[in-house]
Amino acid sequence: MRRFAVIAVALLVVCLGTTMVPPAGAQPASGTVVLYTSVPQEMATEFAGAFMRKHPQIKLEVLRSGSTEIEMRIFAEIETGGIRADLLWLADAPIFITLRDKGLLLAYRSPEARHVPAPFRDPGNHFIAGRLINMIIAVNTTLIPVRAAPKSWSDFPKFGKTAAMPNPLYSGSVFVTVATFVQKYGWAWFERARKENIQVLRGNTEVARALAAREFGVGMTLDFMVYGMIQDGAPLAIIWPEEGAVSVPSPVAIIKSSKNPEAARRFVDYAISVEGQKFLASKGVVPVREDVDPPKGQPRASEIKTLPIPFEWAAKNAADIRTRFEQIMMR
Amino acid sequence: MPSDAPHPPPAQARAPSRALDPRVPLLVLVAAAMVLLVVWPVAQVVYRSLLVDGGLGLDHYRRAIVHPGNLRALTNTVWVGVASAAGAMIAGAVLAFLVMRTDIPGKGWLRTLLIMPYAVPPFFGAIAWAQLLGPQGYLMRPLIALLGLEQAPFSIYSAWGIVFVMAIHAFPLVFLTVSGALERMDASLEEAARTSGAGSLRVMRDVTMPLVLPALLAGGLLAFIHSIANFGIPALLGIRVRFYVLTTSIYASLNIPDFPLATAKSMLLVAVGAAALAVQWRLQRGQQRYTVIAGKSIHPQVIRLGPLRRVAFALAVLFAAVIAVLPLFSLLLTSLLKYYGAPLAVASLTLKHYAYVANQGVIRRALANSALLGVSAATITMVLGTFVAYARIRAKLRGAAALDTLGMLPYAVPHTVIAIAMILAWARPPVALYGTIWIILLAYIVAYMPLSLRTTSATLQQVHESLEEAARVSGAGPLRAMRDIIIPLVRPGMVAGWILVFMPAFRELTMSILLFGLRTETIGVIIFNMQSSGYTQIAAALSVLVCVLILGSNLIVRKATRGQVGF
Repeated sequence: MRRFAVIAVALLVVCLGTTMVPPAGAQPASGTVVLYTSVPQEMATEFAGAFMRKHPQIKLEVLRSGSTEIEMRIFAEIETGGIRADLLWLADAPIFITLRDKGLLLAYRSPEARHVPAPFRDPGNHFIAGRLINMIIAVNTTLIPVRAAPKSWSDFPKFGKTAAMPNPLYSGSVFVTVATFVQKYGWAWFERARKENIQVLRGNTEVARALAAREFGVGMTLDFMVYGMIQDGAPLAIIWPEEGAVSVPSPVAIIKSSKNPEAARRFVDYAISVEGQKFLASKGVVPVREDVDPPKGQPRASEIKTLPIPFEWAAKNAADIRTRFEQIMMR
Repeated sequence: MPSDAPHPPPAQARAPSRALDPRVPLLVLVAAAMVLLVVWPVAQVVYRSLLVDGGLGLDHYRRAIVHPGNLRALTNTVWVGVASAAGAMIAGAVLAFLVMRTDIPGKGWLRTLLIMPYAVPPFFGAIAWAQLLGPQGYLMRPLIALLGLEQAPFSIYSAWGIVFVMAIHAFPLVFLTVSGALERMDASLEEAARTSGAGSLRVMRDVTMPLVLPALLAGGLLAFIHSIANFGIPALLGIRVRFYVLTTSIYASLNIPDFPLATAKSMLLVAVGAAALAVQWRLQRGQQRYTVIAGKSIHPQVIRLGPLRRVAFALAVLFAAVIAVLPLFSLLLTSLLKYYGAPLAVASLTLKHYAYVANQGVIRRALANSALLGVSAATITMVLGTFVAYARIRAKLRGAAALDTLGMLPYAVPHTVIAIAMILAWARPPVALYGTIWIILLAYIVAYMPLSLRTTSATLQQVHESLEEAARVSGAGPLRAMRDIIIPLVRPGMVAGWILVFMPAFRELTMSILLFGLRTETIGVIIFNMQSSGYTQIAAALSVLVCVLILGSNLIVRKATRGQVGF
């Protein structure tokens, strides 16, 4: 929280020292908009291409980086004169709550929003999920046949040394998962996992890689990564845990200081449109809309049993949750 | 020649007092540049580490030290750094001697191979080694079968695994520094010892060793600091076994997010680096009196190994194969696999990742950016570094030693923190460089200045004053003496230093990832992006491409300069 105090002070200084340009009123949707996103590079580039073909008068510039790196960037930018992007599309929902509460996001109710279920959008319309990324259990079937694999999150710690989970100190979606687990099981789940010697790797990618390389039999990681590896031929399987997956909505939001909010709104419309969601589904992402078919072999959003995510609580207690996790799992 | 000896008339007429020394304004300019480049951004970080609830205080330092986990990260950092540097120094000294001073065959390509680990991003080196020696590694499985074991006899995911991979990545630093010193050494000293009846071993112990010791220490210091500041290797190999060093601990603090604690921990890392620098200076005190390059140009004698020649060659090749060929082969294999971890069979190989790489405009743009940044950073740091080293060692200008220390400090600042410092320092008007390629260049200059300072100092220390004095006596001004005498003599050392900066800058990742903006991605950023979104094979293909580009350009440069420039 100290960091936010620092940022708040810095913001004040910035506000006093420079004249903030108020967001311009309704403009025709054209010109350039900048998107900061953690959507994988390849997907982001192609998605931007598809958007610009639909809106040839808008130029969308994409800066792709990891969720964590973009967060550091955003906070550094806030300290030094404001976020340089018009749009954000990241995996870590709590950061959007933090930014919303600081008044840095622009509310926008897209006409397409009614097709997106309520849990996937901010009640005040400051952000809306552009895709769903699901924390699931993955197994390497050459080591552990699916029938012997853990069926639920409660089973997971039993697999001890052969089980791997990613680290919330290095990844946004894992942080959301840990917060969800703490609400559901308390810290006891982690204490048990630690006792059973579950290994904590760096990020979701590392868990998926280590599974494919047969270093672990089971792992907690993201569905679309495993899905992609299965498409390539890896002997992996996705298990949807009995209690429910952690379906992390990956929100899209418009930055309040955007100089081109009209074009930014067109992007939000496109991201959650049938066309945009179809494109993402073709890349293995579960769509946020019911009227778009999921990728072959993947469930619909409504069919996924999910654990309730305590977004507000997670956003307010982020530092404490991460610190506690570090104390239990990493000592 | 003692410096207080009376100067002959021309020199006296030219330099009646120090104030007119044309080198002074130059030094002031360089000092201003250093303050702006290094002090201002680092001060931003120090300031934040002291900022406690609006006031100033040491609370964050207390937190960084008092906590047992943090303290362990500190001690781990120190011993891992010492162990890696020691490994790199032993291997570096032996290999440099073999390649530079003996008659083993294949020196040209051996040299190139031995420097290769430096071209591979450390986090990719760690991935490659995990693939080779992990519990299911390409080498581990046959080894387990060979020994008839149940499971792996050792784990790469351990403190010693980290030391091993770090030592390999730090090895080229020692190798380059020591071979530079051996190349420039005045062979007449060895000659003299030999004529006086000393045997080969005795000459080595009493003459050669003391002469290359400064370079070995400088290389060892670089290796130490390189290792303690590394993040990729302990992140991949240490986190899962709960082995933390300061860099991984700092990264965790940044993400908690506890920025003040992260900055305080960074200052601890700076302190470790500064302590190492101080130790090196103590050890080196008095070394300067050795004359290494005097007026005569005699090429060092090549020692004939006789029957040992084959053995030495075989060992050198084996070593090069282990540190350079194996990891590159592992990377190459990864880049050809249909999916990560696929069994080694023709059916699971594909070229599609290379096809993808070849078709991406963004990758071509990133390569161009990285080339521009690498060349500019290497050239600028070498020019600045040469001036500082010259001012300190040769001109003995007051304040130059302080500049040298200043320039060394950022090497112990984790690159993530340097990047944040650059944003804090250069994102606001009137100098709003953030988002442009120039802020990345500034960060590279800050981060790689120490490499340049150490190599230029080590080189310059070996050039005897008498040469410059001779030029001055013959009527040349200090600038002319520098241009005509010093620079040609130190050129080989400077080329080595240039390469030491260019290679890591070309593939830099940690700073670029926070500083890149629209259209200013570097190749390191793209590699990391691919790797972190699960496209490990594409990232491996790009890493292979980077190595090929570095090797290829080196080959062209060497051909074009007939072996004068290159590695």
